[in-house]
Amino acid sequence: MIELRGVTLDVGGRALLRDIEARVATGEFVALLGRNGAGKTTLLRAIAGLHCLRLGAISIDGAPSAQLRALDRAKRIAFVTGDEIFLESLLVRDVVSIGRFPHHRWWQWNAAPNDDAAVDCALAAVRLEPFAQRLFSTLSAGERQRVWIALGLAQETPILLLDEPTSHLDVGVAHEILALLRRLTREGKTVVCALHDINEAACYADRIALLGDGALLALAPPDAVLTEPLLQRAYGIAFARRSALLPDSVLVAQPHVGT
Amino acid sequence: MRAAALAVLPLLAAVSSLLVGSTSLSPAAVASALLHPHATGVLHTIVWQLRLPRVCIAATVGASLALCGAVLQGMLRNPLVDPYLTGVSAAAAAAIAIAIVAGVSAAATPGIGFVAGLGAALLVAALARRGGGIDSNRLILAGVSLSTLFAAIVTLALVRAQSNEYASTVVAWLAGSMAGRGWPELATAAPYAALGALLAFAVAAPLNALRVGELRARAVGLNVNRAQWIMLAASSLLAASSVVLAGLVGFIGLIVPHIGRRIVGSDARVLLPACASIGAALCMFADAVCRWIVAPAELPIGVLLAFIGVPAFLYLYLRPASAVRRDTVSRRL
Repeated sequence: MIELRGVTLDVGGRALLRDIEARVATGEFVALLGRNGAGKTTLLRAIAGLHCLRLGAISIDGAPSAQLRALDRAKRIAFVTGDEIFLESLLVRDVVSIGRFPHHRWWQWNAAPNDDAAVDCALAAVRLEPFAQRLFSTLSAGERQRVWIALGLAQETPILLLDEPTSHLDVGVAHEILALLRRLTREGKTVVCALHDINEAACYADRIALLGDGALLALAPPDAVLTEPLLQRAYGIAFARRSALLPDSVLVAQPHVGT
Repeated sequence: MRAAALAVLPLLAAVSSLLVGSTSLSPAAVASALLHPHATGVLHTIVWQLRLPRVCIAATVGASLALCGAVLQGMLRNPLVDPYLTGVSAAAAAAIAIAIVAGVSAAATPGIGFVAGLGAALLVAALARRGGGIDSNRLILAGVSLSTLFAAIVTLALVRAQSNEYASTVVAWLAGSMAGRGWPELATAAPYAALGALLAFAVAAPLNALRVGELRARAVGLNVNRAQWIMLAASSLLAASSVVLAGLVGFIGLIVPHIGRRIVGSDARVLLPACASIGAALCMFADAVCRWIVAPAELPIGVLLAFIGVPAFLYLYLRPASAVRRDTVSRRL
Protein backbone atom coordinates (compact mmCIF):
# COMPACT_ATOMS: atom_id res chain seq x y z
CA MET A 1 0.00 0.00 0.00
CA ILE A 2 1.23 3.46 -0.90
CA GLU A 3 0.03 6.47 1.05
CA LEU A 4 0.78 10.11 0.21
CA ARG A 5 -0.08 12.77 2.76
CA GLY A 6 0.21 16.46 1.87
CA VAL A 7 3.00 15.80 -0.61
CA THR A 8 4.44 18.95 -2.17
CA LEU A 9 7.18 18.62 -4.77
CA ASP A 10 9.61 21.20 -6.13
CA VAL A 11 11.53 21.01 -9.35
CA GLY A 12 14.30 23.54 -9.79
CA GLY A 13 13.04 25.59 -6.82
CA ARG A 14 9.57 25.93 -8.35
CA ALA A 15 6.55 24.18 -6.85
CA LEU A 16 5.36 21.53 -9.30
CA LEU A 17 2.77 19.61 -7.30
CA ARG A 18 1.00 20.80 -4.15
CA ASP A 19 -0.63 18.96 -1.33
CA ILE A 20 -1.19 15.55 -2.93
CA GLU A 21 -3.32 13.21 -0.83
CA ALA A 22 -3.62 9.71 -2.20
CA ARG A 23 -3.78 6.09 -1.19
CA VAL A 24 -3.13 3.15 -3.49
CA ALA A 25 -4.23 -0.25 -2.21
CA THR A 26 -2.25 -3.46 -2.57
CA GLY A 27 -2.97 -5.21 -5.87
CA GLU A 28 -4.37 -2.10 -7.46
CA PHE A 29 -3.52 -0.80 -10.95
CA VAL A 30 -3.47 2.99 -10.92
CA ALA A 31 -2.81 4.93 -14.11
CA LEU A 32 -1.28 8.36 -13.78
CA LEU A 33 -2.46 10.84 -16.41
CA GLY A 34 -1.69 14.45 -17.10
CA ARG A 35 -0.13 16.61 -19.75
CA ASN A 36 3.61 16.85 -20.36
CA GLY A 37 5.22 18.62 -17.43
CA ALA A 38 2.25 17.99 -15.13
CA GLY A 39 4.51 16.11 -12.71
CA LYS A 40 3.82 12.45 -13.49
CA THR A 41 7.47 11.45 -13.63
CA THR A 42 8.41 13.57 -10.64
CA LEU A 43 5.61 12.08 -8.55
CA LEU A 44 6.67 8.54 -9.45
CA ARG A 45 10.29 9.35 -8.63
CA ALA A 46 9.24 10.82 -5.29
CA ILE A 47 7.35 7.62 -4.42
CA ALA A 48 10.45 5.62 -5.41
CA GLY A 49 12.59 7.80 -3.12
CA LEU A 50 14.49 9.33 -6.04
CA HIS A 51 13.15 12.85 -5.59
CA CYS A 52 13.06 14.76 -2.30
CA LEU A 53 9.73 15.99 -0.95
CA ARG A 54 9.43 19.60 0.10
CA LEU A 55 6.49 18.90 2.35
CA GLY A 56 4.40 15.93 3.36
CA ALA A 57 5.16 12.27 3.74
CA ILE A 58 4.96 9.08 1.74
CA SER A 59 4.55 5.76 3.45
CA ILE A 60 5.07 2.35 1.94
CA ASP A 61 3.08 -0.44 3.62
CA GLY A 62 2.81 1.77 6.70
CA ALA A 63 6.56 2.53 6.93
CA PRO A 64 7.58 6.16 6.32
CA SER A 65 9.51 6.12 3.05
CA ALA A 66 11.94 8.83 4.19
CA GLN A 67 13.20 6.58 6.97
CA LEU A 68 13.78 3.56 4.73
CA ARG A 69 17.34 2.83 3.68
CA ALA A 70 17.86 2.94 -0.08
CA LEU A 71 18.39 -0.83 -0.29
CA ASP A 72 15.31 -1.59 1.81
CA ARG A 73 13.24 0.76 -0.31
CA ALA A 74 14.51 -0.99 -3.44
CA LYS A 75 13.23 -4.27 -1.99
CA ARG A 76 9.73 -2.79 -1.78
CA ILE A 77 9.53 -0.55 -4.84
CA ALA A 78 10.81 -1.07 -8.36
CA PHE A 79 10.97 2.02 -10.57
CA VAL A 80 10.89 1.28 -14.31
CA THR A 81 11.92 4.03 -16.68
CA GLY A 82 12.55 3.82 -20.39
CA ASP A 83 14.90 6.80 -20.53
CA GLU A 84 17.44 5.94 -23.17
CA ILE A 85 21.00 5.89 -21.92
CA PHE A 86 24.36 4.99 -23.36
CA LEU A 87 24.75 1.30 -22.75
CA GLU A 88 28.02 -0.42 -23.23
CA SER A 89 27.24 -3.68 -24.93
CA LEU A 90 25.36 -5.68 -22.37
CA LEU A 91 23.46 -8.91 -22.68
CA VAL A 92 19.77 -8.78 -21.88
CA ARG A 93 20.35 -11.19 -19.01
CA ASP A 94 23.09 -8.95 -17.55
CA VAL A 95 20.75 -5.96 -17.61
CA VAL A 96 17.95 -7.87 -15.87
CA SER A 97 20.40 -9.25 -13.28
CA ILE A 98 21.04 -5.70 -12.07
CA GLY A 99 17.57 -5.90 -10.53
CA ARG A 100 19.06 -8.30 -7.97
CA PHE A 101 21.27 -5.52 -6.58
CA PRO A 102 19.17 -4.74 -3.49
CA HIS A 103 19.23 -8.40 -2.46
CA HIS A 104 22.99 -8.40 -2.01
CA ARG A 105 25.35 -6.89 0.48
CA TRP A 106 28.02 -4.90 -1.31
CA TRP A 107 30.75 -7.34 -0.39
CA GLN A 108 28.81 -10.33 -1.73
CA TRP A 109 30.39 -10.96 -5.09
CA ASN A 110 28.71 -14.22 -5.93
CA ALA A 111 25.15 -14.52 -7.08
CA ALA A 112 22.76 -15.61 -4.36
CA PRO A 113 21.11 -18.99 -5.04
CA ASN A 114 17.71 -17.51 -5.90
CA ASP A 115 19.15 -14.83 -8.23
CA ASP A 116 19.06 -17.02 -11.31
CA ALA A 117 15.53 -18.14 -10.55
CA ALA A 118 14.37 -14.53 -10.07
CA VAL A 119 16.00 -13.39 -13.32
CA ASP A 120 14.56 -16.37 -15.24
CA CYS A 121 11.14 -15.66 -13.77
CA ALA A 122 11.34 -11.96 -14.72
CA LEU A 123 12.45 -12.80 -18.28
CA ALA A 124 9.63 -15.32 -18.57
CA ALA A 125 7.04 -12.82 -17.35
CA VAL A 126 7.86 -10.44 -20.20
CA ARG A 127 8.39 -13.36 -22.61
CA LEU A 128 12.02 -12.50 -23.24
CA GLU A 129 13.63 -15.88 -22.50
CA PRO A 130 14.76 -16.33 -26.14
CA PHE A 131 16.46 -12.92 -25.89
CA ALA A 132 18.45 -13.61 -22.73
CA GLN A 133 21.77 -13.98 -24.54
CA ARG A 134 21.12 -11.19 -27.05
CA LEU A 135 22.88 -7.85 -26.89
CA PHE A 136 20.61 -5.17 -25.47
CA SER A 137 21.66 -2.78 -28.25
CA THR A 138 20.20 -5.10 -30.91
CA LEU A 139 16.66 -5.01 -29.46
CA SER A 140 13.68 -3.05 -30.76
CA ALA A 141 12.00 -0.32 -28.70
CA GLY A 142 9.27 -2.68 -27.51
CA GLU A 143 11.76 -5.37 -26.53
CA ARG A 144 13.88 -2.82 -24.67
CA GLN A 145 10.85 -1.64 -22.73
CA ARG A 146 10.18 -5.24 -21.74
CA VAL A 147 13.81 -5.58 -20.58
CA TRP A 148 13.40 -2.56 -18.30
CA ILE A 149 10.21 -4.06 -16.91
CA ALA A 150 12.02 -7.37 -16.36
CA LEU A 151 14.75 -5.50 -14.47
CA GLY A 152 12.04 -4.14 -12.17
CA LEU A 153 10.43 -7.57 -11.81
CA ALA A 154 13.80 -9.14 -10.90
CA GLN A 155 13.81 -6.86 -7.85
CA GLU A 156 10.86 -8.95 -6.61
CA THR A 157 9.13 -5.96 -5.07
CA PRO A 158 5.46 -5.77 -4.11
CA ILE A 159 5.20 -2.35 -5.78
CA LEU A 160 5.99 -1.54 -9.40
CA LEU A 161 6.15 2.08 -10.62
CA LEU A 162 6.42 2.63 -14.36
CA ASP A 163 7.15 5.84 -16.19
CA GLU A 164 5.39 5.77 -19.56
CA PRO A 165 6.11 2.14 -20.42
CA THR A 166 4.06 2.40 -23.62
CA SER A 167 5.53 5.50 -25.20
CA HIS A 168 7.18 4.89 -28.58
CA LEU A 169 5.41 1.54 -28.83
CA ASP A 170 2.90 0.42 -31.42
CA VAL A 171 -0.66 -0.30 -30.30
CA GLY A 172 -0.16 -4.07 -30.22
CA VAL A 173 2.98 -4.08 -28.10
CA ALA A 174 1.57 -1.37 -25.83
CA HIS A 175 -1.48 -3.48 -25.05
CA GLU A 176 0.67 -6.54 -24.53
CA ILE A 177 2.67 -4.67 -21.89
CA LEU A 178 -0.42 -3.28 -20.18
CA ALA A 179 -2.01 -6.74 -20.15
CA LEU A 180 1.17 -8.02 -18.48
CA LEU A 181 0.90 -5.31 -15.81
CA ARG A 182 -2.78 -6.16 -15.32
CA ARG A 183 -1.81 -9.82 -14.85
CA LEU A 184 0.83 -8.82 -12.29
CA THR A 185 -1.74 -6.96 -10.21
CA ARG A 186 -3.85 -10.12 -10.10
CA GLU A 187 -0.81 -11.85 -8.66
CA GLY A 188 -0.78 -9.26 -5.88
CA LYS A 189 1.59 -6.57 -7.14
CA THR A 190 0.65 -2.92 -6.86
CA VAL A 191 1.18 -1.02 -10.11
CA VAL A 192 1.31 2.73 -10.61
CA CYS A 193 1.91 3.60 -14.21
CA ALA A 194 2.25 6.97 -15.93
CA LEU A 195 0.52 6.87 -19.31
CA HIS A 196 -0.15 9.24 -22.16
CA ASP A 197 -2.98 7.35 -23.80
CA ILE A 198 -6.28 7.99 -22.04
CA ASN A 199 -7.91 4.96 -23.64
CA GLU A 200 -5.14 2.62 -22.48
CA ALA A 201 -5.74 3.92 -18.97
CA ALA A 202 -9.48 3.42 -19.33
CA CYS A 203 -9.04 -0.16 -20.52
CA TYR A 204 -6.56 -1.43 -17.96
CA ALA A 205 -6.51 0.69 -14.80
CA ASP A 206 -8.62 0.14 -11.68
CA ARG A 207 -8.38 3.83 -10.94
CA ILE A 208 -6.96 6.86 -12.70
CA ALA A 209 -5.01 9.64 -11.02
CA LEU A 210 -5.31 12.82 -13.04
CA LEU A 211 -2.71 15.52 -12.51
CA GLY A 212 -3.29 19.11 -13.60
CA ASP A 213 -2.83 22.67 -12.41
CA GLY A 214 -0.13 21.49 -9.99
CA ALA A 215 -2.51 19.28 -8.09
CA LEU A 216 -4.18 15.89 -8.10
CA LEU A 217 -7.47 16.67 -9.88
CA ALA A 218 -8.99 13.26 -9.34
CA LEU A 219 -8.22 9.73 -8.18
CA ALA A 220 -11.16 7.55 -9.06
CA PRO A 221 -12.33 4.74 -11.38
CA PRO A 222 -11.98 5.54 -15.09
CA ASP A 223 -15.66 6.34 -15.62
CA ALA A 224 -15.58 9.04 -12.97
CA VAL A 225 -12.31 10.59 -14.11
CA LEU A 226 -12.63 10.49 -17.87
CA THR A 227 -15.27 13.15 -18.12
CA GLU A 228 -15.06 16.04 -20.54
CA PRO A 229 -14.74 18.82 -17.94
CA LEU A 230 -11.96 17.09 -15.96
CA LEU A 231 -10.01 16.16 -19.08
CA GLN A 232 -10.38 19.62 -20.48
CA ARG A 233 -9.03 21.01 -17.24
CA ALA A 234 -6.09 18.61 -17.22
CA TYR A 235 -5.14 18.80 -20.87
CA GLY A 236 -6.49 22.23 -21.87
CA ILE A 237 -8.29 20.82 -24.87
CA ALA A 238 -11.83 19.64 -25.57
CA PHE A 239 -12.66 15.93 -25.70
CA ALA A 240 -15.58 14.03 -27.14
CA ARG A 241 -16.75 10.49 -26.63
CA ARG A 242 -17.75 9.88 -30.21
CA SER A 243 -16.06 9.69 -33.51
CA ALA A 244 -17.10 8.48 -36.90
CA LEU A 245 -14.35 5.90 -37.07
CA LEU A 246 -13.98 4.62 -33.54
CA PRO A 247 -16.29 2.80 -31.13
CA ASP A 248 -18.34 4.80 -28.66
CA SER A 249 -16.16 4.12 -25.67
CA VAL A 250 -13.08 5.72 -27.22
CA LEU A 251 -12.31 9.27 -26.19
CA VAL A 252 -10.87 11.54 -28.81
CA ALA A 253 -9.47 15.00 -28.44
CA GLN A 254 -11.39 17.69 -30.35
CA PRO A 255 -8.82 20.31 -31.17
CA HIS A 256 -10.11 23.76 -31.86
CA VAL A 257 -9.44 24.11 -35.58
CA GLY A 258 -9.55 27.40 -37.44
CA THR A 259 -10.64 30.73 -36.04
CA MET B 1 39.84 -21.15 -19.93
CA ARG B 2 39.95 -17.36 -20.11
CA ALA B 3 40.46 -17.15 -16.36
CA ALA B 4 43.42 -19.53 -16.58
CA ALA B 5 44.93 -17.54 -19.45
CA LEU B 6 44.52 -14.29 -17.50
CA ALA B 7 46.23 -15.85 -14.48
CA VAL B 8 49.11 -17.32 -16.48
CA LEU B 9 49.77 -14.19 -18.54
CA PRO B 10 51.29 -12.07 -15.72
CA LEU B 11 53.40 -15.05 -14.58
CA LEU B 12 54.81 -15.46 -18.08
CA ALA B 13 55.48 -11.74 -18.25
CA ALA B 14 57.22 -11.79 -14.88
CA VAL B 15 59.44 -14.73 -15.85
CA SER B 16 60.44 -13.24 -19.20
CA SER B 17 61.05 -9.87 -17.57
CA LEU B 18 63.37 -11.49 -15.01
CA LEU B 19 65.39 -13.11 -17.78
CA VAL B 20 65.91 -9.90 -19.75
CA GLY B 21 68.45 -7.21 -19.00
CA SER B 22 71.78 -5.66 -19.93
CA THR B 23 73.64 -8.64 -18.40
CA SER B 24 72.56 -11.88 -20.03
CA LEU B 25 71.75 -14.53 -17.45
CA SER B 26 70.70 -18.11 -18.06
CA PRO B 27 67.25 -19.16 -16.80
CA ALA B 28 68.97 -21.66 -14.51
CA ALA B 29 71.14 -18.95 -12.94
CA VAL B 30 68.13 -16.70 -12.36
CA ALA B 31 66.17 -19.59 -10.88
CA SER B 32 68.97 -20.54 -8.51
CA ALA B 33 69.39 -16.92 -7.41
CA LEU B 34 65.65 -16.72 -6.73
CA LEU B 35 65.74 -19.95 -4.73
CA HIS B 36 68.57 -18.73 -2.53
CA PRO B 37 67.48 -15.31 -1.29
CA HIS B 38 70.27 -15.07 1.28
CA ALA B 39 73.17 -15.82 -1.04
CA THR B 40 75.65 -13.11 -2.02
CA GLY B 41 77.45 -12.21 -5.24
CA VAL B 42 76.90 -10.28 -8.45
CA LEU B 43 74.28 -12.66 -9.79
CA HIS B 44 72.29 -12.42 -6.60
CA THR B 45 72.48 -8.63 -6.60
CA ILE B 46 71.31 -8.37 -10.20
CA VAL B 47 68.33 -10.62 -9.61
CA TRP B 48 67.28 -9.44 -6.14
CA GLN B 49 68.23 -5.76 -6.21
CA LEU B 50 67.74 -4.83 -9.87
CA ARG B 51 65.41 -7.15 -11.73
CA LEU B 52 62.96 -8.44 -9.15
CA PRO B 53 62.05 -4.96 -7.82
CA ARG B 54 61.66 -3.75 -11.40
CA VAL B 55 59.31 -6.62 -12.18
CA CYS B 56 57.28 -5.97 -9.02
CA ILE B 57 57.14 -2.24 -9.73
CA ALA B 58 56.05 -2.82 -13.33
CA ALA B 59 53.34 -5.21 -12.15
CA THR B 60 52.11 -2.71 -9.53
CA VAL B 61 52.09 0.19 -11.98
CA GLY B 62 50.36 -1.78 -14.74
CA ALA B 63 47.71 -3.25 -12.46
CA SER B 64 47.10 0.12 -10.74
CA LEU B 65 46.68 2.07 -13.95
CA ALA B 66 44.41 -0.55 -15.53
CA LEU B 67 42.21 -0.81 -12.42
CA CYS B 68 42.09 2.96 -12.12
CA GLY B 69 41.00 3.31 -15.74
CA ALA B 70 38.35 0.62 -15.39
CA VAL B 71 36.90 2.23 -12.26
CA LEU B 72 36.85 5.75 -13.74
CA GLN B 73 35.37 4.62 -17.06
CA GLY B 74 32.65 2.74 -15.20
CA MET B 75 31.98 5.55 -12.75
CA LEU B 76 31.74 8.25 -15.42
CA ARG B 77 30.21 5.85 -17.98
CA ASN B 78 32.63 7.25 -20.51
CA PRO B 79 34.99 4.97 -22.44
CA LEU B 80 37.37 7.85 -23.24
CA VAL B 81 38.34 8.48 -19.63
CA ASP B 82 41.84 7.61 -18.45
CA PRO B 83 43.53 7.70 -15.02
CA TYR B 84 45.13 11.06 -15.74
CA LEU B 85 41.79 12.75 -16.19
CA THR B 86 41.32 13.60 -12.52
CA GLY B 87 44.46 15.77 -12.49
CA VAL B 88 46.21 13.41 -10.06
CA SER B 89 49.16 12.64 -12.28
CA ALA B 90 49.54 16.12 -13.70
CA ALA B 91 49.71 17.54 -10.19
CA ALA B 92 52.16 14.86 -9.08
CA ALA B 93 54.32 15.53 -12.13
CA ALA B 94 54.24 19.29 -11.50
CA ALA B 95 55.20 18.86 -7.84
CA ILE B 96 57.99 16.45 -8.74
CA ALA B 97 59.28 18.79 -11.47
CA ILE B 98 59.37 21.70 -9.01
CA ALA B 99 61.05 19.54 -6.38
CA ILE B 100 63.73 18.38 -8.82
CA VAL B 101 64.41 21.86 -10.13
CA ALA B 102 64.51 23.24 -6.60
CA GLY B 103 67.12 20.63 -5.76
CA VAL B 104 65.09 18.60 -3.25
CA SER B 105 66.74 15.25 -2.54
CA ALA B 106 65.75 12.40 -4.84
CA ALA B 107 64.50 10.35 -1.88
CA ALA B 108 61.85 12.96 -1.03
CA THR B 109 60.46 13.59 -4.51
CA PRO B 110 58.13 10.57 -4.74
CA GLY B 111 56.49 11.51 -1.43
CA ILE B 112 56.01 15.08 -2.60
CA GLY B 113 54.46 13.82 -5.83
CA PHE B 114 52.12 11.48 -3.98
CA VAL B 115 50.84 14.19 -1.62
CA ALA B 116 50.39 16.65 -4.51
CA GLY B 117 48.51 14.05 -6.53
CA LEU B 118 46.05 13.31 -3.74
CA GLY B 119 45.69 17.04 -3.06
CA ALA B 120 44.75 17.59 -6.69
CA ALA B 121 42.20 14.77 -6.49
CA LEU B 122 40.58 16.47 -3.48
CA LEU B 123 40.56 19.81 -5.28
CA VAL B 124 38.98 18.31 -8.39
CA ALA B 125 36.42 16.47 -6.25
CA ALA B 126 35.57 19.71 -4.44
CA LEU B 127 35.08 21.50 -7.77
CA ALA B 128 32.98 18.63 -9.15
CA ARG B 129 30.67 18.44 -6.14
CA ARG B 130 27.01 18.93 -6.71
CA GLY B 131 24.41 18.08 -4.09
CA GLY B 132 25.99 15.32 -2.04
CA GLY B 133 27.61 13.67 -5.01
CA ILE B 134 29.95 14.18 -7.91
CA ASP B 135 28.79 15.46 -11.26
CA SER B 136 30.49 13.55 -14.08
CA ASN B 137 30.77 16.47 -16.47
CA ARG B 138 32.04 18.82 -13.79
CA LEU B 139 34.63 16.23 -12.77
CA ILE B 140 35.91 15.90 -16.34
CA LEU B 141 35.98 19.69 -16.85
CA ALA B 142 37.74 20.34 -13.54
CA GLY B 143 40.26 17.52 -14.14
CA VAL B 144 41.07 18.61 -17.67
CA SER B 145 41.47 22.28 -16.83
CA LEU B 146 43.60 21.67 -13.73
CA SER B 147 45.74 19.22 -15.72
CA THR B 148 46.40 21.97 -18.25
CA LEU B 149 47.46 24.30 -15.46
CA PHE B 150 49.81 21.68 -13.98
CA ALA B 151 51.27 20.94 -17.41
CA ALA B 152 52.04 24.65 -17.74
CA ILE B 153 53.79 24.53 -14.35
CA VAL B 154 55.93 21.62 -15.58
CA THR B 155 56.87 23.56 -18.70
CA LEU B 156 57.75 26.57 -16.58
CA ALA B 157 59.92 24.42 -14.31
CA LEU B 158 61.71 23.00 -17.35
CA VAL B 159 62.31 26.44 -18.82
CA ARG B 160 63.59 27.78 -15.52
CA ALA B 161 65.74 24.72 -14.73
CA GLN B 162 69.20 25.92 -13.79
CA SER B 163 71.04 22.99 -15.34
CA ASN B 164 70.49 20.45 -18.08
CA GLU B 165 70.87 17.71 -15.52
CA TYR B 166 67.76 18.86 -13.67
CA ALA B 167 65.86 19.24 -16.91
CA SER B 168 66.70 15.74 -18.10
CA THR B 169 65.64 14.28 -14.74
CA VAL B 170 62.27 16.01 -15.10
CA VAL B 171 61.88 14.79 -18.68
CA ALA B 172 62.65 11.23 -17.56
CA TRP B 173 59.76 11.44 -15.07
CA LEU B 174 57.41 12.80 -17.67
CA ALA B 175 58.29 10.11 -20.21
CA GLY B 176 57.48 7.37 -17.74
CA SER B 177 60.30 5.14 -16.64
CA MET B 178 61.14 2.71 -13.90
CA ALA B 179 64.88 3.12 -14.25
CA GLY B 180 66.63 3.40 -10.91
CA ARG B 181 63.57 2.49 -8.82
CA GLY B 182 63.88 -0.26 -6.29
CA TRP B 183 62.48 -1.81 -3.14
CA PRO B 184 62.32 1.46 -1.10
CA GLU B 185 60.07 3.18 -3.68
CA LEU B 186 57.94 0.07 -3.96
CA ALA B 187 57.61 -0.23 -0.20
CA THR B 188 56.43 3.40 -0.05
CA ALA B 189 53.85 3.20 -2.82
CA ALA B 190 52.60 -0.39 -2.69
CA PRO B 191 50.44 -0.04 0.46
CA TYR B 192 48.53 2.86 -1.14
CA ALA B 193 48.16 0.95 -4.40
CA ALA B 194 46.89 -2.06 -2.44
CA LEU B 195 44.38 0.09 -0.57
CA GLY B 196 43.23 1.58 -3.87
CA ALA B 197 42.84 -1.89 -5.39
CA LEU B 198 40.88 -3.06 -2.35
CA LEU B 199 38.50 -0.10 -2.66
CA ALA B 200 38.17 -0.73 -6.41
CA PHE B 201 37.16 -4.36 -5.85
CA ALA B 202 34.76 -3.25 -3.12
CA VAL B 203 32.79 -1.13 -5.61
CA ALA B 204 32.44 -3.90 -8.21
CA ALA B 205 28.71 -4.35 -7.56
CA PRO B 206 28.00 -0.57 -7.69
CA LEU B 207 29.98 -0.35 -10.94
CA ASN B 208 27.77 -3.09 -12.35
CA ALA B 209 24.61 -1.27 -11.29
CA LEU B 210 25.86 1.98 -12.84
CA ARG B 211 26.03 0.28 -16.24
CA VAL B 212 22.30 0.93 -16.69
CA GLY B 213 22.58 4.59 -15.77
CA GLU B 214 22.69 6.58 -12.58
CA LEU B 215 18.90 6.88 -12.16
CA ARG B 216 18.30 3.14 -12.44
CA ALA B 217 21.27 2.45 -10.17
CA ARG B 218 19.64 4.66 -7.53
CA ALA B 219 16.32 2.93 -8.12
CA VAL B 220 17.82 -0.47 -7.33
CA GLY B 221 19.06 0.97 -4.04
CA LEU B 222 22.61 2.09 -4.80
CA ASN B 223 23.82 5.05 -2.76
CA VAL B 224 25.36 6.66 -5.82
CA ASN B 225 27.00 9.52 -3.93
CA ARG B 226 28.83 7.26 -1.51
CA ALA B 227 29.83 4.85 -4.29
CA GLN B 228 31.25 7.73 -6.36
CA TRP B 229 33.36 8.99 -3.47
CA ILE B 230 34.79 5.50 -2.91
CA MET B 231 35.47 5.13 -6.64
CA LEU B 232 37.21 8.50 -6.74
CA ALA B 233 39.31 7.62 -3.68
CA ALA B 234 40.27 4.29 -5.24
CA SER B 235 41.24 5.81 -8.57
CA SER B 236 43.22 8.63 -6.94
CA LEU B 237 45.23 6.27 -4.74
CA LEU B 238 45.94 4.00 -7.71
CA ALA B 239 46.92 6.84 -10.06
CA ALA B 240 49.07 8.63 -7.47
CA SER B 241 50.99 5.49 -6.52
CA SER B 242 51.68 4.59 -10.13
CA VAL B 243 52.92 8.12 -10.95
CA VAL B 244 55.22 8.01 -7.95
CA LEU B 245 56.64 4.66 -9.07
CA ALA B 246 57.01 5.25 -12.79
CA GLY B 247 56.14 8.80 -13.77
CA LEU B 248 53.62 9.31 -16.54
CA VAL B 249 52.88 5.97 -18.20
CA GLY B 250 50.13 6.48 -20.72
CA PHE B 251 48.04 4.06 -22.75
CA ILE B 252 47.55 1.32 -20.14
CA GLY B 253 44.86 3.09 -18.14
CA LEU B 254 42.86 4.01 -21.21
CA ILE B 255 43.26 0.88 -23.32
CA VAL B 256 43.45 -2.08 -20.94
CA PRO B 257 39.83 -1.67 -19.75
CA HIS B 258 38.74 -1.83 -23.40
CA ILE B 259 40.79 -4.98 -23.98
CA GLY B 260 39.40 -6.44 -20.76
CA ARG B 261 35.79 -5.76 -21.77
CA ARG B 262 36.49 -7.44 -25.10
CA ILE B 263 37.75 -10.57 -23.44
CA VAL B 264 35.53 -11.00 -20.37
CA GLY B 265 32.60 -8.60 -20.86
CA SER B 266 31.67 -5.67 -18.65
CA ASP B 267 30.76 -7.41 -15.37
CA ALA B 268 33.06 -5.56 -12.97
CA ARG B 269 33.47 -8.60 -10.74
CA VAL B 270 35.31 -10.28 -13.62
CA LEU B 271 36.49 -7.18 -15.46
CA LEU B 272 38.48 -5.66 -12.57
CA PRO B 273 40.65 -8.73 -11.89
CA ALA B 274 41.06 -9.21 -15.65
CA CYS B 275 42.19 -5.59 -16.09
CA ALA B 276 44.64 -5.87 -13.19
CA SER B 277 46.09 -9.00 -14.72
CA ILE B 278 46.32 -7.66 -18.30
CA GLY B 279 47.71 -4.31 -17.11
CA ALA B 280 50.38 -5.95 -14.97
CA ALA B 281 51.39 -8.34 -17.76
CA LEU B 282 51.50 -5.60 -20.38
CA CYS B 283 53.59 -3.32 -18.19
CA MET B 284 56.08 -6.09 -17.28
CA PHE B 285 56.46 -7.10 -20.95
CA ALA B 286 56.90 -3.49 -22.01
CA ASP B 287 59.45 -2.86 -19.27
CA ALA B 288 61.42 -5.95 -20.34
CA VAL B 289 61.42 -4.72 -23.95
CA CYS B 290 62.54 -1.25 -22.80
CA ARG B 291 65.52 -2.74 -21.00
CA TRP B 292 66.44 -5.10 -23.83
CA ILE B 293 65.87 -3.17 -27.06
CA VAL B 294 68.60 -0.52 -26.65
CA ALA B 295 70.65 -2.28 -23.93
CA PRO B 296 72.65 -1.22 -22.00
CA ALA B 297 70.61 2.00 -22.29
CA GLU B 298 66.85 2.07 -21.60
CA LEU B 299 63.84 3.30 -23.50
CA PRO B 300 61.17 5.18 -21.51
CA ILE B 301 58.24 2.79 -21.10
CA GLY B 302 55.68 5.48 -21.91
CA VAL B 303 57.29 5.99 -25.32
CA LEU B 304 57.40 2.27 -26.09
CA LEU B 305 53.77 1.72 -25.07
CA ALA B 306 52.65 4.54 -27.33
CA PHE B 307 54.70 3.32 -30.30
CA ILE B 308 53.50 -0.28 -30.12
CA GLY B 309 50.21 -0.05 -28.30
CA VAL B 310 48.48 2.73 -30.15
CA PRO B 311 48.76 1.26 -33.67
CA ALA B 312 47.74 -2.15 -32.34
CA PHE B 313 44.72 -0.70 -30.59
CA LEU B 314 43.71 1.44 -33.55
CA TYR B 315 43.91 -1.65 -35.75
CA LEU B 316 41.62 -3.53 -33.35
CA TYR B 317 39.05 -0.75 -33.18
CA LEU B 318 39.15 0.89 -36.57
CA ARG B 319 39.00 -2.24 -38.66
CA PRO B 320 36.33 -2.36 -41.39
CA ALA B 321 32.93 -2.07 -39.73
CA SER B 322 31.72 -5.55 -40.70
CA ALA B 323 34.63 -7.27 -38.96
CA VAL B 324 34.11 -5.20 -35.83
CA ARG B 325 30.42 -5.99 -35.72
CA ARG B 326 30.96 -9.72 -36.01
CA ASP B 327 33.49 -9.51 -33.25
CA THR B 328 31.25 -7.43 -31.05
CA VAL B 329 28.36 -9.83 -31.23
CA SER B 330 30.40 -12.94 -30.70
CA ARG B 331 32.63 -11.62 -27.96
CA ARG B 332 30.14 -9.31 -26.26
CA LEU B 333 32.38 -6.26 -26.14
